[in-house]
Amino acid sequence: MPKVTFTDHAGETRAIDANPGDSVMETAVRNGVPGIVAECGGSLSCATCHVIVDPADFASLPPMEEMEDEMLYGTAVERRETSRLSCQIRITEDLDLHVTTPETQV
Amino acid sequence: MYDERIGYWVVTRYDDVKAVFDDWETFSSENAQAPVRERGAEAKRIMAEGGFTAYSGLSARVPPEHTRIRKIVARAFTPRRYKALEPAIRANVVREIETMLRRPDRTGDLVADLAYELPTVTILTLIGADTSQIDTYKRWSDSRGAMTWGDLSDEEQIPHAHNLVEYWQECLRLVEEAHRTHPDSLVGDLVRAQEAGEEITDHEIASVCYSLLFAGHETTTTLISNALRVLLAHPEQWRQVVEDPKKISAAVEEVLRYSPSIVAWRRRAKRDAVVGGVEIPAGANLLLVMGSANRDESHFEAPEVFDISRPNAREHLAFGYGIHYCLGNMLAKLQAKVAIEEVARLAPGLRLVDADAIEFGHNLSFRAPVRVPVTWEA
Repeated sequence: MPKVTFTDHAGETRAIDANPGDSVMETAVRNGVPGIVAECGGSLSCATCHVIVDPADFASLPPMEEMEDEMLYGTAVERRETSRLSCQIRITEDLDLHVTTPETQV
Repeated sequence: MYDERIGYWVVTRYDDVKAVFDDWETFSSENAQAPVRERGAEAKRIMAEGGFTAYSGLSARVPPEHTRIRKIVARAFTPRRYKALEPAIRANVVREIETMLRRPDRTGDLVADLAYELPTVTILTLIGADTSQIDTYKRWSDSRGAMTWGDLSDEEQIPHAHNLVEYWQECLRLVEEAHRTHPDSLVGDLVRAQEAGEEITDHEIASVCYSLLFAGHETTTTLISNALRVLLAHPEQWRQVVEDPKKISAAVEEVLRYSPSIVAWRRRAKRDAVVGGVEIPAGANLLLVMGSANRDESHFEAPEVFDISRPNAREHLAFGYGIHYCLGNMLAKLQAKVAIEEVARLAPGLRLVDADAIEFGHNLSFRAPVRVPVTWEA
């Protein structure tokens, strides 16, 4: 089963079993993971589902599209090298993804 | 509950409002811009003769058309583009506050003196429209609000019908001009996208202008007015904001929950459905009351209390939810934040005058204070 491990800014970790086809954002929201707000419900309009992907996992993800890149300029905590919007990352069969949530999303 | 006066099913619970917004296949936004009261014969004639063919830029369009246009527009309306405007926004705020504070009688109106002009200049600048025409755009926007969400008699509609014709003609002209001059603006970007092969017509670009030149300032004027109105009405929380400006972003979220600019929005059932246990027939109209959902005690603890430290304030539905989520939400919040930061810095001792006497415009969707009178010590 695919798995996403969320670490918050204080270092607390939650490993969540995920369903293929969902987004990382949906996985977080359904399991009550704090640190992901997702105000707009995944319509790429709010930049409140910002995560920083573990650099070791980053290259294995499909590259982001232009619009996600543009929206990352609107995150509450400034984007980093491996920042993504979690509503745009799809869960695939053998995914084992590690992400950190920023201190704030608003 | 079915409201016979307007012919709408009224949805007030948080979970129900959110679920209807989320299920765009069952609940279409096609009626979101329909006149609540049918237009009179004379208004219809004026608008037909004036070539008025606008309906909606995005909010009342439905997929796949909505998806296609929104994608193109969203790319031209990103944080990267409008964050560049922040210094100009801040300079405008400072200039307006300083002008107000110079008044010898130490009285002001935060709507007229600050909230009215600021977002209007911002959106006109982004779109590439004439920033010297603020009053004209505000007049057109008032007409659009009154003609769609108001309850005007046939006679009262006539001047507004003329305004809508002028407004739409200006949108068409902006697009036509952009084809010739290729300006560095949102209209310029949309025209360039079209010329590069993107599927968007001139009528659709003009319709987007028609939307943004209304939605892009009207509700932000209201947000800034409400933010200061509510914060000043809670002096203890205003003091917190003055002492620690880092709390302003959270305060803006709580204002959006407690007093959203748009308190109700419309959808139409495309098939038989059940909302909150009530059967809704296909074709029925729904009125989603976000102002009520935002104060649903099953989602927000002590919902009638304004509390800038509320942990889940940002779960409010002020901007809707799902595919139609307010495109300009981040620009609106940015402007409200800058306005509060500068008022807190330059005029921390501002006080409301007769807060209970503040009046709001009358219509189905927009809850906007007409005036927010303030005073201060010398």
